[in-house]
This record gives sequence, structure tokens and C-alpha cells, in this order.
Amino acid sequence: MHTLESLPSAAEAARRVHPLVELRVDRSAFEELERRLEHNGPWDNWTLYQLAWEAEQAMRVGDFHELWSLRMLPRLTPLPHQTETAKRVLRDMHGRAILADEVGLGKTIEAGLVLKEYIVRGLVRTALILVPSSLVLQWVRELNDKFGIPAVAQKKPHHWDNAVVVASIDTAKREPHRSRLLEREYDMLIIDEAHKLKNKRTGNYKFACALRKKYCLLLTATPVQNDMGELYNLITVLKPGQLGGEPEFSATFVADRRVPKNRELLQEALGRVMIRNRRENSDIRHPRRFVTTVPLVLSPDEQALYDGVTEYVRSSAREKGLGTAAALQLVTLQREVCSSRDAVFLTLFNIFKKAEEGSLLRERVGRLVDLLKGVKANTKAEKTLELIQSMDGKVVVFTEYRATQDYLMRFFAEHGLAAVPYRGGMNRGKKDWMTELFRRRARVLVATEAGGEGINLQFCNRIINFDLPWNPMRIEQRIGRVYRLGQTEDVYIYNLCTLGTIEEHIVRLLHEKINMFEMVIGELEEIIHVLEREETLERRLARLFLEAEGESDLRKGIDRLGDVIAGLSRRRRREG
Amino acid sequence: MNGGEVARFVVSFLEQTGCHIIERSPSHVVVKLSPEADRALTNRPFYWSFVDRTGAEPETMTFAWHFEPPGTPASAASAAASPALAAQVSSAPAGAGPAVASPAAAPALASQGYFFAPGAAEAGFAAATAGTAALPLPGGRILTEYLHFGSARLHQIFDYVRQRGRNVLLFAEPPRGARAADPFSRAYTAWLGVNFKVACECDMKREDLYSWGISLATGVIDENFGERLKACRLSARLSPEIRILRSTLTPRKGMARLEAHLERKLRRGDFSWAVEAEERRREERERVAHYYRQLIERADSEEQRRTLEERLKARETEIDWQYRPRMTVTVINCGIFHFPGID
Repeated sequence: MHTLESLPSAAEAARRVHPLVELRVDRSAFEELERRLEHNGPWDNWTLYQLAWEAEQAMRVGDFHELWSLRMLPRLTPLPHQTETAKRVLRDMHGRAILADEVGLGKTIEAGLVLKEYIVRGLVRTALILVPSSLVLQWVRELNDKFGIPAVAQKKPHHWDNAVVVASIDTAKREPHRSRLLEREYDMLIIDEAHKLKNKRTGNYKFACALRKKYCLLLTATPVQNDMGELYNLITVLKPGQLGGEPEFSATFVADRRVPKNRELLQEALGRVMIRNRRENSDIRHPRRFVTTVPLVLSPDEQALYDGVTEYVRSSAREKGLGTAAALQLVTLQREVCSSRDAVFLTLFNIFKKAEEGSLLRERVGRLVDLLKGVKANTKAEKTLELIQSMDGKVVVFTEYRATQDYLMRFFAEHGLAAVPYRGGMNRGKKDWMTELFRRRARVLVATEAGGEGINLQFCNRIINFDLPWNPMRIEQRIGRVYRLGQTEDVYIYNLCTLGTIEEHIVRLLHEKINMFEMVIGELEEIIHVLEREETLERRLARLFLEAEGESDLRKGIDRLGDVIAGLSRRRRREG
Repeated sequence: MNGGEVARFVVSFLEQTGCHIIERSPSHVVVKLSPEADRALTNRPFYWSFVDRTGAEPETMTFAWHFEPPGTPASAASAAASPALAAQVSSAPAGAGPAVASPAAAPALASQGYFFAPGAAEAGFAAATAGTAALPLPGGRILTEYLHFGSARLHQIFDYVRQRGRNVLLFAEPPRGARAADPFSRAYTAWLGVNFKVACECDMKREDLYSWGISLATGVIDENFGERLKACRLSARLSPEIRILRSTLTPRKGMARLEAHLERKLRRGDFSWAVEAEERRREERERVAHYYRQLIERADSEEQRRTLEERLKARETEIDWQYRPRMTVTVINCGIFHFPGID
């Protein structure tokens, strides 16, 4: 120990105050005092001196385990399961954890809370957040807006130098970024959609393992227990050996690739590194969902157009060969004609343009265009207007087609209904502006896009599906716009359904057979993931429509498909 | 820090830096910054280097800072007052009313974290929830912000006071009345006052603060020095009737004794947190070593073995980094304080 009368030199500055604990002293403020005494000042202001001490008192971390950061986030009100999760990650898992909540429970909030807490405590200064590229901006916004964390989206090489960087994992793992990132170390690494790391032969996996990090959070919504090997790999990124070496793990926990044994033991072992909150256990009050099918009868001229198009689709498909991509493509025409005359016109016009002059095809399409000209009104649009006028509050009308969107905007304007459009092609600023206009000025939002970087429309609780996408994930995204955290009202969903068309079959399948409008958000993703291993649902449906011999055959085909999906759904619930 | 405490802190800072407070209530303040405060807070190095180079008259920024969350009655009342101030603040007389942001311009603003101009949007201050509300005005504008504990703006102010409140040299005001005649009360001695922060770190962290002083005349240590300072009036000027007695300790020696005193106190403290952290560190290291040893034994090639050994080493380093218990003492600020008498 140093003598009482002299300060330890820099070399001695680190010393032990306990066999385990080294003490470092930073007395630069005192050294400055000495310099100022020598030069007779300058001296600081007494009030500022006191304020500096007051600031230090306010910032003091007085406890090892409390969530200290919450005092700094007056605008954030996390749900009880989110704060509990953050506490468990800090206290019990020491900053290395898999967050595997079901979709919609706010994993991002949990990760943000953990990150913020470490930053506030001065334990994290640098953090790297790797996410799919479509989510980069969303993460940056959430961290900045909700947590006041100055995160930066990685776009240029020098962005890597920022303290908190959000980047696409696909970019980060490629040279020259890769070497740059592997050279340095991060106080915290967060990986969203971490189930993409499950295969240990992939670049993603190796890269995540090789990054040097102190704390680490892996976020995933898919239940990793479904595949034991994948589960093991994921945990190895985080804490190699947590479930023992590979042979021990296999002997203790694996009955079959998809079937674990010693379930309780496994749950216990997983509980030390993984948190999975489930909807049914969370404190979220679930708004109810009311789904209504609105049946419509087409006007005679509309029906004539539909029949004409159907006839054209069937005969052309046979010519192109059933099952070919070109044939399946034709079904789009039928779907478009169910939406609006404008939607189908564009496609017909393109076929017409491409066909040779004087060809039979041109003549056939020309006849369809004549039928189209005969259509004077849009039954669906009229019904939609009527529906909206019978409701209170705001409504989102979803359509798949840009032409229908334009038509509806015109139609609503003619009837004095304030509506704003929303499309995928709009840039972020415009999307925000449209959302804001809808919130403040308009009754109706007519949207062609539901996915992508999330728009949040919790202030609205009514959806009209003017037409339905055949990709169930897109339907779920539509519902997810309004049925999400923060929605306090019950949600009403109206599906317009033109009788005697393919639309009727689709609505019957999705609504009556598999009840998808009432499925838990996230549930569908898992089912579809399994179902579409062979072929997308969209293709399956198109094939059914083309290949069915008559109405009853079609019905049977759709029913069979519905049974398959319902079966997968039951299996998921059993295993989940 | 609650809203009231933040308000008091901020106003104190504004007064000390010579800012012009245009309007204030318990829950808000409208202020035109002094050049000093503007340099510290507005992040405009290019502007200020321009002013410095050309000697142009600086135009500092004006802020409306609200200390209660948007939507509370207090904040609404103070928000209502702000737009009315617009004309007053603006130096240009023409069309001093708030300009209405065009729809084309607004999305760009929104994406930068700005929002609707309060004059254009009905919601006024409520619109500012998303961040900073810009009130465009000819010749200047008022930026509206919710300034709370944890907000970036307050942390800028914290940083400023930490830098500009490091070292002081002060004198207690001489006593008045009967005691003034007492010759002892005019004999002053010097104290070294130090504010310490002590941090205990492993994978978690806790901090303690100590405001101590040592008499440079006698070597007496006062653990309640902070309280003592609060209780007396201090001045930067030495009054002519005061005599300062010689110190027996240099500040450096005083500091060494204070540190030694603190270290003794820390040694007597509770180290269970460190013992537990060390336990975790050892467990983790064993687990990782076990995992890699198996793989290393089964390695097919020398190269593979080396890779695995490197990986094990890297993981061990990470574990030490995460758990190793350690303590740091930081001197936040310190000063020389002169008091009457000898303690």
C-alpha cells in the first residue's frame, strides 16, 4: 500500500480492496484542481459545481437489480410481462438470453428495455443489432423514439463507428464488413429473427458465434423446441455447453429430431437461458374480433363480365397446359374481376397489346373489353359506401389492386367521403403523412399494402376486405395493422364476398373452414410455414380452380385443403 | 428527478449561463439561449465557427421546454401560452403569425422527428409527443420540447455542468454582528472538498456517492462535508478583513488521506456481490471448457483443434469481461473551501 502522504502513482492506481476485487481510481478532476491552483484559476461557478453533483446524484445507480431506466422513460409504459422479462434477463440470465415470446407480445420492447438498462448503468456503450434488412429502419425508430437510444442504421461504412448500430445481418456477414466487425468487440449483440441462426453450417451462424460480445440477446418468435438440433445450435451461439456437450444433449434430451425426452428437465434447463411469454398467460386484455361476411350479388352486366372472363381463363389455361405457371397466372384475371372493372381492365389491356393484330386472342380479349364497357356500376363499392355510412368511426379498406384503390378514391370523393390512400411504393415520410391525415382528417384509409415496415393504426378498429389476398400471411398482416398491442376496442372485420365467384370459395375456406380471421396472430405463420414446404397456398388454390371438374368437385377440393390446414392447426396447439 | 426537480435544475442552469427567460411557470419555461448555452446545447459547430470567424452578431435559438408530460393539464396550459409568444420572440414584423407547414414539407419534417407546426395542427403541444415541435416563424422559431429526466436535452445540460462545475475556490462569507468582532472568526483555514463516486461492477452495477472534506490545517476528515457546504453562504471573493492561516497539508497530501480513508471504508464493505459474480464466472468457464474439451478431443485435424482452442479462449475472455468483479472510484469534482476558525 502507498504511504499515507503521497498519492499512488499511475502504475499503482489499480489495487485490490478484496482478494477478488481490483480498485481503480480516476482522480483527473483533482489533478485539474492542482493545475488551477498553480495558475491561480480560472475557477468554476459554485452553482454549476453544485448542479454537477446534483446531476450525479440523480444519475446514481443505487441498486444492482432494479430497472433503473424506467424513470428515464416517462413516455413508455411497458406491460408487466415485458418489465418482468427484462428483469429476469438482467438478474437471472446476466444479460445472455433468448427472447422467444409469441408474436405480438413485444419482444422489441423487452430487448430495448434490457439494452437501455445496461446503457443507463454504464455497462453497455457499444451495441450491434442485427436484423433482417426489412426491419432495420423499424428498429432504429423504435430505439430512438421509445427508448431515446441514439441508434443508427448502417448504410455507409463509417456508420459502423457509431456506438449503437442497427444493420442487416446479410450485409454484416459479408466482406468487407465482416472483418471489420470481427476485429472489434461489442458490449451488446442483439439478433432479431434469430431462428435464422439455427443451422450451424450457415454463414449467419458462424458469424454470430465469432462476434465478440459481452451481453447477447437472441429474438425469435418461432417455437424453437420444434426441432431439437436447431434449439441446441441457438443456445450454443449464446452459451456453449449450457445443455452439455452434443453427445450428452442427445442422450439426455433427444428422442427424435422433433421429439424431446425428459421434457421437464429440458424445460428447466431452457428456463435458464430462454423466456417465452404466451398470449394466454400475458396480462394483455385481448380485444375481441368480430368477423362478418357480406354477401353480394353481382349486377347482370358484372356477372356477364365475370362469366366471360371465367370462360376465357378456362379455355386459355387448357391451351397453355394445366399446371403451368402461365395457366396459373390466368386465375388472377378472375380475382381481379371480382374486385373491380378497373383492376381487370389493366390486365386485359396488356394482353390485348401483346397479342398480334388480327389474332384470335385479340378478338377474344376485345369481346371481354366490350363486356367490361357495359359495366356501369360497382356493386361492391356501393355496398362498401353503405357499410361505412352505417358505422361510426374510422375504417380501413384493403384491396389487392392499385386500380381498384384509385377507383375507390374517386368513388368516395364523388360521394363526399374523406379518404386517403396508402401504398407500398410510398416513401416513409409519405406513409407517415398519410397515416397522420387518416388519424386527423379522414374517415377512410384505402390501402393496398399491409405488410412491410409497420404502420400502426390502433386508433381504428374496423377493416373492410374489399377483396382477399390468397396469401394468408397478407391477410394476417392486414388484421395486424389494427389488432395489435395498444388496441383497446373490439375489432370488426368485414369480408365482401361476391356470390357465385371464386371469391365465395375463398371466403368459405378462410373464414368458415379454417377460421383464420380469429386465429391468434403468429399462429398462422407457423402453420403456413409447414404447409408451404411443398407449394404455396396461392398456387394450390389456382390449381384447384383450374383443374376442378365442375362446382361440386371444386367444393370437395377446397374442403380437403381446409381439412389439411385445420389438422396442422390442431397439431400446433397440442405441441405448443 | 421529477418534473419539478428538473424544472428547478434547468432554470438554475439557464440563469447561470446568462440566458434570457421570456416566460416561465412551474411546468414550463420559454427561453432565448445565451451564446454560451447555445454553443453547449444546439449542436451547431458550423454556425458558431462562422460567427467566430466573421464576428457576425449571433442569433441564438429559442426553446419552449415543458417539464410535465404532454396531455397533462399543466402542460396544456403552458402550451397554450407559447404560440402567443411567437410574435414577441420573432424579430421580423411581417406576418409574425405561425406559418402553416405545407403538406409537402410536413412529411420531411415528420421523418426528422419534427412534427406539425402547432399553429397548423389543432392539437398544439400534444402533437409534440413524437419529439420536437417546430414552430416556423419568419426570422426565427421556437422549438418545443418535453424535457424530462432521461431526455437527451437534459443529458446535454448534465454534461455541460459536469465540465463547467469541476473545480472551485471559495470563501465562507464573514460572520456579521457580534461575532464579527471576534478575531478568531476572521482567521480562516482551507479545506479540500471532494465529491467521490464509487462503482461496484460485475455483470451488474451499483454506485455510491461520498461528499467528503479534509481540513488542510489539521487533517481532520468530515464525512458530512457536503451538508456543511449546503448550510453556509460561499463567495468567490476574499473579503479584505479576512486572514487565511497557513495550511500544514498540501492539497495532494489531503487528497491522499481522503483516498486512504475511503479505501479503508470500502475494504470494510460488503463483498457478497463480488463473491457471487466470481462464482458465476467460474461456473461459466467450467461449462464452456467442458463443451470445447469434448470437441477438441474429437477434432479431426490439427487445424480444427487449433480453431476450437481459439474459440474456447475467446469465450473465456468474454466471460471474464462479463463477470469479473471490479470497483472504480471517480472524483466527480473538488475544490478548496475556506472556513472561519480551526477544526
